[in-house]
Amino acid sequence: MDLSIPPDITFVVLTTITLLAAIMALQSKELIYGAISLAVSFIGIAGFFVSLDAPYLAMLQIAVYVGAVVVLILFTIMLVRRDEPDKDEMGESSEGAAGLWIAGLLAVSIAGIAALAGPSLPTTPATGNLPISQLGPVLAETYPVPLIILALLLSGALLGALVLAKVDR
Amino acid sequence: MVNLPTTPADILPFIIAVVTSHTFITIVIFPGLIHLIVVVMFLTWYERKLLARIQLRIGPLYAGGLGGILQPIADGMKLIFKEVMIPYKADKPLFLGIPLALVFLGALPFAVIPFGQHWVIANLDVGLVFVFAVASLFPSMILIFAWASNSKYPFLGGLRSLFQQVAYEIPMWISTLSVVMLAGSLNLVQIVNAQQKMWFIGPAFLSFVVFFIASMAELERLPFDLPSAEPELVAGWFTESSGAIFMVIFLALYMKLYLMSSLITVLFLGGWWGPAFLPQPVWFLLKALVVATLIIIPRGVYARLRVDLLIKVGWTRLLVIALANVFITVALLSTGVLSAWGL
Repeated sequence: MDLSIPPDITFVVLTTITLLAAIMALQSKELIYGAISLAVSFIGIAGFFVSLDAPYLAMLQIAVYVGAVVVLILFTIMLVRRDEPDKDEMGESSEGAAGLWIAGLLAVSIAGIAALAGPSLPTTPATGNLPISQLGPVLAETYPVPLIILALLLSGALLGALVLAKVDR
Repeated sequence: MVNLPTTPADILPFIIAVVTSHTFITIVIFPGLIHLIVVVMFLTWYERKLLARIQLRIGPLYAGGLGGILQPIADGMKLIFKEVMIPYKADKPLFLGIPLALVFLGALPFAVIPFGQHWVIANLDVGLVFVFAVASLFPSMILIFAWASNSKYPFLGGLRSLFQQVAYEIPMWISTLSVVMLAGSLNLVQIVNAQQKMWFIGPAFLSFVVFFIASMAELERLPFDLPSAEPELVAGWFTESSGAIFMVIFLALYMKLYLMSSLITVLFLGGWWGPAFLPQPVWFLLKALVVATLIIIPRGVYARLRVDLLIKVGWTRLLVIALANVFITVALLSTGVLSAWGL
């Protein structure tokens, strides 16, 4: 990695907004604020797409994630009876420990994949103005490793959702 | 591009150069902020006069001199000076912030709507998707505002509004598909350019009907005003708004009315195209005014739909017609019937 390149200010601002909003979405006590923070985080990701010359993806990101997914989450929050959050048996400290464990595992696996497959990754970005029909082949053939990481992330989220939904039922 | 001033004497020419530049004029005057506010004020007056004529309402028909054109200004003054009531235990930041966000979201799509060959702020390649992306944020904003009012009636109205808008967004999106196929582009300027010889209301008439009905449902106008129902349900999701907050929401709603009229003009009525004796933006404004009239008139004529009919119309009629028209458009394009009009 070439560290002599100065950090891109747009990238820094977008990353800060996206990550802060994502942390807010997880941490806020009020579920509505969590949903709004999630929407802000999604819009930040749309900003990444714009800065990567993919305005079509950015617009779809906003329309699908902010327009539909957040609406779905809002529906769920509003329609489900609002009870006091029940304290589960896990204490604050063990929650934190679990978080650290997962973060460590994720970091190790990403570092491992990067170390194993890093040299084979393309160093130059794909040239702009890619026709939309070429999006799939390019994604699967040029960037298989990020795609696999994304798939892992999604599977993890799915498993997490299952575990959360299964508690005490 | 204008160079930044270096000496004090350069400041005035610099300001003049900025103010007279095309970018500044398109953003601030036309088709930007000032034009939007004037049109919105005009629309409130126009709707009142039109409904007064349809229903023979004495008050709005004869109010004020000059045809009552000062009434919108008087209304604005009254609302600004009224007390803003914030309900007990309402979520204050959201209650005050969401109306402003609504106005922002209502004005944002006008950045990509072309009022003439050169009268467009941002000639975006994904203009249509941009409009939909911004418009899809409206329903969730409405629900959050309704929730923030901390009152039952706005909350129920907000839920109904969200259901209705989300349901009617789908036929609306699908109905634009045939327009996109005909023009071969998502760029609104190119969509209008493709209509130079024939407006898309011809080959995509069914799409026009679906889009028109769905946009009326999106705007919550009669006969689709179940979520707000001004006379009976005390305005649904914005029941608790008062004073300046109410004015801002009203502004956002009329901006959305104007947005839908302009969108129909761009997609189906050939945008700025018309005989050359009038400038392009004038043709656009005239067409948008005609569409707005068509949207307003049912308010004075029709009764409200029942909620089961609303669902039925949306899912079993509009969606099917919109999908059918996609196939019709494909057939028209592949058989080359439209090649005489350069499509």
